[in-house]
Amino acid sequence: MTSLLRRGALWLLVGVILLSSLFPFFWMLVTSIKPDNELFTRTPRFIVTSPTVERYTHLLDGNIPTQFRNSLIVAVATTVLTGLVALLAGYAMARYRLRTRHILTVVILVTQLLPQTILVIPLFTLFRNAGMLNTYQGLTLSHLALTLGLCTFMLRSFIVDIPFELEEAAQVDGASRLRAVRSIVFPLAWPGLAASSVYAFITSWNELMFSATYMQRPEIETLPVALQQYFSSYYTDWGGVMAASVIFTIPVVIFFLLVQKRLMQGMASGAMKG
Amino acid sequence: MSPNTSGALPGRQSPRRHFTFEKQLLPWAFLTPLLAVVVGIVGYPVVRTIWLSFHDGEYLQNGPFIGLQNYRDIFANPYYTAALLRTTVFAAAVVATTILLSLAIALVLDAAPRAAKVLSVIVLLPWAMPRVASGIVWKWMFDDQYGVVNWLLVHWFGLESFNGYSWFRTGTPAMVAITVAVVWHSVPFVAVSLFAGLRGTHGEVVEAARVDGANAWQILRRIRLPMIRPLLVVMTTISTIWAYQSFDHFLVMTTPPGGPNHSTEVLSLLTWLEAFAQLDQGTAAAMAVVLFLMLSAVSVLYVRLNREDVR
Repeated sequence: MTSLLRRGALWLLVGVILLSSLFPFFWMLVTSIKPDNELFTRTPRFIVTSPTVERYTHLLDGNIPTQFRNSLIVAVATTVLTGLVALLAGYAMARYRLRTRHILTVVILVTQLLPQTILVIPLFTLFRNAGMLNTYQGLTLSHLALTLGLCTFMLRSFIVDIPFELEEAAQVDGASRLRAVRSIVFPLAWPGLAASSVYAFITSWNELMFSATYMQRPEIETLPVALQQYFSSYYTDWGGVMAASVIFTIPVVIFFLLVQKRLMQGMASGAMKG
Repeated sequence: MSPNTSGALPGRQSPRRHFTFEKQLLPWAFLTPLLAVVVGIVGYPVVRTIWLSFHDGEYLQNGPFIGLQNYRDIFANPYYTAALLRTTVFAAAVVATTILLSLAIALVLDAAPRAAKVLSVIVLLPWAMPRVASGIVWKWMFDDQYGVVNWLLVHWFGLESFNGYSWFRTGTPAMVAITVAVVWHSVPFVAVSLFAGLRGTHGEVVEAARVDGANAWQILRRIRLPMIRPLLVVMTTISTIWAYQSFDHFLVMTTPPGGPNHSTEVLSLLTWLEAFAQLDQGTAAAMAVVLFLMLSAVSVLYVRLNREDVR
């Protein structure tokens, strides 16, 4: 009897957790497809009787496709560059007993706790002088500052777990070290690369402060900036902003679900070393 | 190529000894891109911001050296000191709620091992949602007339005073609503990390304690929580840093940003507005440096705490 009661309580808690995790997603979606007369009701309606996609077609005729593309370019560039740079650096830190590695670790840790506000002003001046305001390159560079620290650590810990004997064997068989790294270590580090890619993509896609500062022309704006500006001027158009939010959310959620297994492994191994 | 052959071969050190290029140069060649970014995109801006904080910087122009004047100015500015206090209270509330809720969720996941895999994916999902989007959704849920939160409070909890209650007309309720949104966003990562840590604590020690007749609560308090204490400290540090830096939710959820009447201004928002709305880079730089020093102090404090645990 008590075990039955305990099970019931456990599943009740699980239910509460699921509901509070998912409800905002559900509500965003439902709000975006409700016609206005179902939207503005004192008693919220959880079921849509006559859904409409009008807001989506309206949005897709506007600037959203361009902004979506801008966001995608910056996020993909950030992810690829982060993966490349962090993989090389992670390998060097995992395989060599560098005398400077303690300093290196501290430096990377410090980059992780820097407030964005300490970077935002000089980077603005730097980009302005270099003609890199309103460019993909500028924003991508600034996003690297946010992603590289954690991703280097993640990849380092993955590479440490790859047996060094594998590399040695390849070298005994006549491969150069570079070749051994390229054909043995990097392919095996792929789960780590997947985990750090999710992190980099999500960080870049969602980032607002740098994007709002460095991307000011409508044709180059990324989604977070565009959505924030639209919301601050038309915040009573709840259906419209919800539809835009859905479009904004879908890519990260898909990417997250595709690679979540690797991400969980990455977080679990991080937690062990905590 | 197979891993088994390597151990059998004699002189397995030899391939490494030959090439000094591979020993000396390769690691630095591999580290160069990272170092370039760290120096150019992180190091230079930090030094530059510190330099700017000692100079006059109106209209984003570099003015003359003025010593500590910017720092005196910001601490004499009642909006800044209010924001400092407000951010601290907000961060404390966010961190405490985040850690407690995350621990509770991690324990529930731990108690349901068969469902945990799927559950932890769903729990982590809010972390992936863009903060701008989640800020908008939460603002809609806290809407005075049509929001689900007020409806829930009135019809499920019988709190009639929330009928048409306006959360964003004054500072304190607005801060409460934003806290809820920020906690919803920061719990997932911490909860899943703590769950991963808790999973590593089912070992012989716990088994032995169980055989000796310890109950689940005693095992949790005396054995498992102390085992994940370093992880708890790391998670507290990370969420403190996140909470102090909160920016997106405030920019999205308050109109005008930091309003009404400056009552929701937090440090990051105030600094950014000072630089890019007031165009005073000297003052903004001083604010950024102070926040950086505070976060460094917090991190050092937590690292100390962690070290004393080990002793």
